[in-house]
Amino acid sequence: MLILSRKLNETIRIGNDITITILEVTGSRIRVGIDAPSEVAVHREEVYQAISRENVTAAEYSESRDENLFHLWDRLRNPMKEDVR
Amino acid sequence: MSVITTPFGDMQVSESKIIHMKGGILGFEEATRYLLFMQNREIPFGWFVSADNPSIAFVVINSFVAEPEYEPVIPDSDAELLEITSPDDAVVLSIVTINSNPFSVTVNLAAPIVINAQKMLAKQVVINDQRYSLQHSITDNKTLFEKKTGDGDDVLDAVTVR
Repeated sequence: MLILSRKLNETIRIGNDITITILEVTGSRIRVGIDAPSEVAVHREEVYQAISRENVTAAEYSESRDENLFHLWDRLRNPMKEDVR
Repeated sequence: MSVITTPFGDMQVSESKIIHMKGGILGFEEATRYLLFMQNREIPFGWFVSADNPSIAFVVINSFVAEPEYEPVIPDSDAELLEITSPDDAVVLSIVTINSNPFSVTVNLAAPIVINAQKMLAKQVVINDQRYSLQHSITDNKTLFEKKTGDGDDVLDAVTVR
């Protein structure tokens, strides 16, 4: 990992079109400003991880091979009915 | 036309039906071309399936059907990327998570799939709003079950199966 020291209002440039600027330092909290092209996705790491996890869990349903969504719909509408699958 | 392998078997699909996902679905970044299948008008769920890897498939629902009060603000950078200039350009789908034991169904309102249906461009967009969670329960959503049709699904010219 490359490690750089920066002061307030100083910037790091990544490639030609991404810059990260230190905007504010208050105790252990640091605010950074990121300028990047719209096709570059910027996420807080924990948010990215949470969304990925949710997507992976959601995708597992397709492995059940029950591609008929009527069954899901039916079960939602009739929660007391025994799952016959 | 190209032949695409889907969970429903091999299908002849026109290139114009392919939705191009910018950045893919998080966790599945390698797949960027998707197809939307709506089963029929009676149920609000559809399948969002990778056109490149049929093992990647998600159950989806129109976010506004899942949560009628939903008011997502799409960040400017994402709207720009998707070439969305008016809210009418956007179709918003939520990925559905189904747990079997105990049975629960939740929809992702925090990171919906936003589609520009004219350009067939899409992205999983992060909505910065504390009201919307990754796991919004619809198990007890009575208004959803009273609906006869998947309202708004016709906005997108989806591939319909069976």
